[in-house]
Amino acid sequence: MIRFAVLQLSGCAGCEVSLLNAEAWLDRYRLVYMPLVVSAYDVPEVDVLLVSGGVRTDEDLYNLRRAGERARQVVAVGTCAISGGVANLGDRDEVRELFLAAAERRHLPRLLPKVRPVDSVVTVDRYLPGCPPTPELFMAVLLDPSDFKASKTVCQECGRKKLKDMRPTGLIGFQRGEVLPDICLINQGYLCVGSSTRGGCRAPCTRAGHPCVGCRGPSDAFIEKASSKWLTSIQRVFAAMTDIPAEEIQAALRSPQLALFLFQFADYAGTGRPPRPKEKVL
Amino acid sequence: MPTLTFPLSRIEGHAQVVIEVRAGKVVSARFEAMEFRGFEYFVQGAPAEQMPVITPRICGVCSTAHHVAAVKALEDAYGITPPPLALKIRELLLLGQIVQNQATSLFIFTMPDRLGLASIFPLAEEGSEQVNAKIAMRALRVRKAGTDLITTAGGQFIHPVKAVVGGVTSGVGPEQAAAMGAELAEALPIACELFDYYWEMSMAMGERIGTWGDDAPACYIAAVADCRPNYYGDVIRVMCPAGIVRARFPARDFRAHLTYQETDYSYAGQTSYEGEVMRANSLARANMAHCMGTPLADEYLERFHEAFGQPAHAIMLFDLARGIELVYALERAMEILAEPLDREDTAIPYTPRDGEGYGLVEAPRGPLIHHYRIEKGLIAEAKFIIPTVHNTLAIERALRVAARRYVTAERVDMELERAVGRVVRAFDPCIACATH
Repeated sequence: MIRFAVLQLSGCAGCEVSLLNAEAWLDRYRLVYMPLVVSAYDVPEVDVLLVSGGVRTDEDLYNLRRAGERARQVVAVGTCAISGGVANLGDRDEVRELFLAAAERRHLPRLLPKVRPVDSVVTVDRYLPGCPPTPELFMAVLLDPSDFKASKTVCQECGRKKLKDMRPTGLIGFQRGEVLPDICLINQGYLCVGSSTRGGCRAPCTRAGHPCVGCRGPSDAFIEKASSKWLTSIQRVFAAMTDIPAEEIQAALRSPQLALFLFQFADYAGTGRPPRPKEKVL
Repeated sequence: MPTLTFPLSRIEGHAQVVIEVRAGKVVSARFEAMEFRGFEYFVQGAPAEQMPVITPRICGVCSTAHHVAAVKALEDAYGITPPPLALKIRELLLLGQIVQNQATSLFIFTMPDRLGLASIFPLAEEGSEQVNAKIAMRALRVRKAGTDLITTAGGQFIHPVKAVVGGVTSGVGPEQAAAMGAELAEALPIACELFDYYWEMSMAMGERIGTWGDDAPACYIAAVADCRPNYYGDVIRVMCPAGIVRARFPARDFRAHLTYQETDYSYAGQTSYEGEVMRANSLARANMAHCMGTPLADEYLERFHEAFGQPAHAIMLFDLARGIELVYALERAMEILAEPLDREDTAIPYTPRDGEGYGLVEAPRGPLIHHYRIEKGLIAEAKFIIPTVHNTLAIERALRVAARRYVTAERVDMELERAVGRVVRAFDPCIACATH
């Protein structure tokens, strides 16, 4: 049996909860470390190490370095492991000062000045983006990644109809009340970024009537390119399908909930490191 | 001063217990939450209407509760009442969360304590496979019924999206409702069977270790009515030791009743009621409940009250009370799914405005409040009042009771390590939420 461990750094445990729903691994894998469900206090030698959460505290850093040495293969799962995720919102300078000042405790792990992605500490063999990745994606990464079939974008997996004659003039959002079933959310004036977001999730959010917030990050077409290319492509979609002023779209795309996810593969900007190769991203 | 440090597992998040001993006497027991992300700080400046998407990321286990509390806080600030069908679908969402959480706590977190195992999953432990495989597969099946219910009502099961200001994005069609109802109907007998076994194993464990843990009286806090609990949240009630409800208040008055303080040894704070130790979570609700309103859950509740009294105080009863709620949530969700859920409006139009809002839900761990102050459409201030924090003092009191049992002048009985795990897990604390 393949031995695997799950190391949870600073995150919300959503990735672990999703993994628990992917019970197919029970037959093939022996779970040797995952504090959420197993009482074991150290990561032993393993074939596969899944890492969730961002490197937020000095303890995260220490645990990740140690576990990384004992794993033959490392998979970074979820937005936080790939980019720091939601904790990135706290890395705006004015906010960071506030909460670092509030976070002094005796004996406890100290916060690092900035939250760091997992691959800035250990070599990552595969990335599994999503907040969280669906159980199906977990099974794909654990069982046979090359076998996994998905569309390129969330848009292609959504199934809502795009209408030519329904052109909103503003981003109305939920203020209009009822969401119309079966019709593209962009036609209805929602800021949906499913047109450039990586497919593979099967579009549960847009199917349920909520615009895609981009949690899987950019599709293969954009993953190795500058984030401005991706933003331009989203703007082009809105220009083609709506009469919403470009400035309104531009401003909305900078919203924190999108910023959380959209830029998860762009956070090397300015560091001189090469982008993550798309072959490594499921 | 010698200190004993116990890392914790099979709970949500990173925490440890530190017990200080002097001359064979237990001086203190601390429950230390060791992670911190800073949500109250970094949501400042975020557009208020994005909170229902951002705040579920506080916790992947309790995300549904945060999702609904965020929507309720915004609706309170905007002065909106969503249509009845939206409320029904939100109740369904929170029932899914109860099924998921209580099944996880009972069968994945605490069942191993009753069986003397490190986990219910197959491990490199001789002979553990069979027991594990039998329980693990069934436990995962019940749990999955809960997560599927969240998906049905919320679109996504970990960070749901369907609750929005003004209502929900869509109803549940008849075919989907029927399929979901059938899945719950299949899960119900499995849940009962596992719970009966769990009850039996709990009694056996109580016999074996000779205690049910800290059983001194305490105050209890909950935000559900005393029959047919709706986890969507009601007025908050505090019941004090003699079983008398001493306070009733809406979420917006919580500061007048609850005292919050921080410590220098944990990233989680603690709340108390008039200086007294308070307990939230399943036992608080069971102590206030007169009935559950569904047939099987009512039988279990009656059995529970007969066996242990009302109010009951021993901490291992939190675990059993969770099982009653698991059964109730499955039964109640089946009732709702049998009604039409797509024939009325699911949302109403609204106009956002600045101001303050409070959103209350009864999360699996107790009353959860989101409090926002909104200026120019942005969050100026956000406070998250977390149920686990209501339990901090109660956890530490129960840890002192356990420590005194196993620490003597001569020795430290290493049963203490297992006891520490059992005590903390009885409260099912959520560290990601408590520290946010």
